[in-house]
Amino acid sequence: MSIFDNIKNALNSFPVKSTYKINRMRPPGSVDDDLFMKLCIRCARCVEACPYRVLRRSSATKNAEIGTPYIYADVAGCQLCMKCTSVCPTGAIDSSTVEMQQVSIGVARINEDTCMNHLYAKVESGELEPTGNMALCNSCLNTCPLKDDAIYLKDGIIPTITEKCTGCGLCVERCPIKPIKAIYIIPKNMPDAETAGYYNYLKRIGKQ
Amino acid sequence: MQKFRKVIQFIFLAPLFIVPILNLLEIYFMKGTYISLDVGGLSISDPVSVLQALFLSHHVAPIMLVSVAVPALIVIFFGRVWCSWACPYYLMLDGFEALRKKLKLKSLKKPYKKDIHIKANISRLGILILGLIFVGIIGVPLLYLISPPSIMSSQSVLLIKYAYVTAEFILLPILIIIEFFFGYRIWCRYVCPTGTCLSLMQTKFSMHVEYSGKCSNCNQCIRVCPMMLDPKTESLSSACNNCGECISACPDNKKEKTLYFKSH
Ligand code: SF4
Ligand code: SF4
Ligand code: SF4
Ligand code: SF4
Ligand code: SF4
Repeated sequence: MSIFDNIKNALNSFPVKSTYKINRMRPPGSVDDDLFMKLCIRCARCVEACPYRVLRRSSATKNAEIGTPYIYADVAGCQLCMKCTSVCPTGAIDSSTVEMQQVSIGVARINEDTCMNHLYAKVESGELEPTGNMALCNSCLNTCPLKDDAIYLKDGIIPTITEKCTGCGLCVERCPIKPIKAIYIIPKNMPDAETAGYYNYLKRIGKQ
Repeated sequence: MQKFRKVIQFIFLAPLFIVPILNLLEIYFMKGTYISLDVGGLSISDPVSVLQALFLSHHVAPIMLVSVAVPALIVIFFGRVWCSWACPYYLMLDGFEALRKKLKLKSLKKPYKKDIHIKANISRLGILILGLIFVGIIGVPLLYLISPPSIMSSQSVLLIKYAYVTAEFILLPILIIIEFFFGYRIWCRYVCPTGTCLSLMQTKFSMHVEYSGKCSNCNQCIRVCPMMLDPKTESLSSACNNCGECISACPDNKKEKTLYFKSH
């Protein structure tokens, strides 16, 4: 590799853009994160507008996200009230997002090894030995604002997420599994080749 | 006039607390911070922030332009009045001066030297340009990190609403120590990108201090000028923030118009 290539690569992977992190999303209606980082002037208007205190201002990290708004789904999911979408002075949050169906800040995935419903189904089919406390949970289904659209019970047991999932993270907030929740959000448009690629890969092969 | 200025300064200090408190009461008439404030639908933004966003994203949202219109018009008509009449940081520095006087500490202000404001102007312009270049390289609008009014207002929102602060808060105690113990209005005169950007929008037709050309030469105006200018000859310098201290201090003004604000 020539010196020029080295410099080019170093500059292109300069670690100041925002990072991908599971369960951490931008506010609803946010533009692609590359553009978001350039547009957001860190004015905290959206942070102020959020009545549920879900949006938080990020602090210093190894990257330059300092000051930008994030939803931390494992603390609290976004209620999709759409109060924050109309206040952004630079268009980092697209103000044309008014319906919760328009929102797409991430997509939920379920960990089949820890989800109570999945375990229940596995026991029922004889795949696993029954343990003490088997129960159907359905918390994620019941809390979803787009119940039956974004998430439904396949065969009456398996919670299944569809492409209508907004990524609000309410299911993550409610999931009773500790310490790592059985359901998590893969944020959209986060600039990290590997993990965002994972999401894109799933999309490509049609598994969303 | 200086009493009037103090009142205005305190009025502009109030949103720092009122906005988050209204917010807790779920009243959204006023929202935002001094990076970008929204009062009943009228959006007012810090021009440097918007400039950076424009410059980085090549993306023009009409609301961005509208929100700098108000500050730009104010500067074009009245000069850099934001700094001396509104900025909470400036109010704090005024407070420090008063406090040092109370504590009988010597003022940190050095005696007037001709053209020292040119050095200061070059320094802050240089910092703004370097800052913009840095921002251009890393591609993230980070100049708000060194803008005291922005930090003060965003951190007060966080403190009141969420009871935490973010990393940029650290600049405030550092600046407070520097400004209280070591220098006289260092930040405003040598560094602040917000103030510099506002200065750049000022023209010679904007409101400024005018000198009639004849006075008893008591030099009281030079002594009071917080920007270390000679108001008689240097009031067109972009360092002047139209605080009007010189006008209030001038003893000849009682007899005839010697030092006064003039707008074209
Ligand atoms: S949609 Fe409502 S709950 Fe969700 S982040 Fe925005 S303001 Fe907060
Ligand atoms: S309102 Fe817009 S510019 Fe302001 S902090 Fe939120 S996303 Fe950033
Ligand atoms: S809330 Fe968690 S444990 Fe319950 S069904 Fe959903 S993913 Fe499974
Ligand atoms: S120069 Fe900056 S800190 Fe000083 S008064 Fe003006 S805006 Fe405020
Ligand atoms: S010249 Fe007069 S108005 Fe301008 S900064 Fe100095 S004292 Fe204030």
